[in-house]
Amino acid sequence: MELTPDQRAILEGARGPYLAQCMRWLVEWGEVMGARRLVRCDNTHVLLCVPNLVARGASARTLETFAEGLKEACRHPVAPHCVATVHTLFVTLDPLDVPENDPGQVQVQREIAEMAARAGYLTTFTCAPYLVGNVPLKGEICAWTESSAVVYANSILGARTVRHGNESAIAASLLGVVPEFGVLLDENRRGTLLVEVRAELRHATDWGALGYFTGKIAGLGIPVFDGVRRPSQDEAKQLCAALATSGGVSMFHIAGVTPEAPTLEAAFGGKVPRERVIFTERDLRETYAALRNATGDEIEAVILGCPHASLREISRVARWLEGKRVADGVRLWINAARVTRCAADEMGFTALIEAAGGRILCDTCPTNMRIACRRLVTDGFKQAHYARGMTGAEVIVADTEACLRAALTGRWMGDE
Amino acid sequence: MSETIRLRARGVVRGRAEGVALVADATLSFWGEVDPVSGKVIGKGHPLEGQSLAGRVLVIRSTRGSSATPMVLNLAKLENVAPAAFINEEVDSLAALGAIVNGIPMVTDLECSPFEVIRTGDYVVVDATEGVVEIRRTEAQASGGG
Repeated sequence: MELTPDQRAILEGARGPYLAQCMRWLVEWGEVMGARRLVRCDNTHVLLCVPNLVARGASARTLETFAEGLKEACRHPVAPHCVATVHTLFVTLDPLDVPENDPGQVQVQREIAEMAARAGYLTTFTCAPYLVGNVPLKGEICAWTESSAVVYANSILGARTVRHGNESAIAASLLGVVPEFGVLLDENRRGTLLVEVRAELRHATDWGALGYFTGKIAGLGIPVFDGVRRPSQDEAKQLCAALATSGGVSMFHIAGVTPEAPTLEAAFGGKVPRERVIFTERDLRETYAALRNATGDEIEAVILGCPHASLREISRVARWLEGKRVADGVRLWINAARVTRCAADEMGFTALIEAAGGRILCDTCPTNMRIACRRLVTDGFKQAHYARGMTGAEVIVADTEACLRAALTGRWMGDE
Repeated sequence: MSETIRLRARGVVRGRAEGVALVADATLSFWGEVDPVSGKVIGKGHPLEGQSLAGRVLVIRSTRGSSATPMVLNLAKLENVAPAAFINEEVDSLAALGAIVNGIPMVTDLECSPFEVIRTGDYVVVDATEGVVEIRRTEAQASGGG
């Protein structure tokens, strides 16, 4: 890879050993991925989280060494031209009386959060940075972790980011550059798979089903959807999350929606699609059925806000719950960024949700916290997929209103 | 008696490591399918379910990328249960990043399919710097005992 004299000097230690290591990570990663140069990056979304139960049973020494790595990163300031937000945690910084929120890890996370804020990170602790003010413009080069947010940035906003890990996103934040490969380059942003949608997408969870179906087929490819209307922001959020859950998709196109795809032809760069699939009403129904594995109808939890809920989603839940009561023993949790919850507090939505017996969970989500649950209902395909795989829960995925109805009775009564 | 097979490969992440091979013609996600503390594959129904990756030369089609891949590898490394080396058919960018930051050698593009020549239990030396993979197999293993 060709480096500028300044970049080479950093690699050789001119700005200290930590930045030299960061530069080495970016350069070696770029060489592996076929990059020819580093390009300026003005926008990052980084992981700065202690592992909590992801590392259940790890030695104290491992946890300390891991935390020290994050603290070392936070001793260096974010590049002045770079906006840097912080990804979801594995703990919540709120008081939460569940054994899964390890108090020792919460304390270490607080220390890291304070150091990160001083270093110039915006401590958003969310998987949906685009809902809390990190909205890159078309063509803006970013370095984002969180696969669902990567898909959103590339496909809905027209910004450009490959899927990052914590080290590369931290390095990009401090140095303000990234290796140029993958969807940063025009030739790698063209569609590879045409998806003809012949099913009616009635609500956001149906968009999730479309994503979950397509991700399995697309793998690392770039699907182009034909026959769909313009999604709302909340619907787009579900599509992006599900595509990145069942597949390794970094971006998709919808003609007239994706900023660089005014037409279907433009989405494919004038080429003929390599592959074509049809998404029918039957595929829609079967996608739900394949993920659902509940063996009974009594439920323990209703989980909304995967990816983190928007203010609009919270407002709709709050108004729906007004004057109603969640069944005893059922956890109705809506995951959201702390910033969004603060707005919901001001607008009275939090009070309505809490009066009904629900809560807004900030900074994280129950699956990231590895909260054990026998059977849950959720409106997010991503949440259902990972809750099933990582906590062994039985899951039912359904639209938001069906989830809320289940919360009131403690029983899954069906979709209608 | 033993036999040694030397194959050329393309070094992806530099370094040299050796260990007993663990082979599956499958993909693996370090997020959700691997426990970083025990080093075992926990993915339900995965061909390697229950197997430990600790010190093994992991021969798989590719990893399936997740932002958390480097983090899981880092924790596994600190717990001394990380794989010794990767032999992959395809390079997943996030596994490559995880291998770079954790100093785990990785090779790809062997001169023949790794699933045809490497069996679980073979002793494998991966030299990603030189681009060579050496497979050492005792007679007992060669006749199916390994």
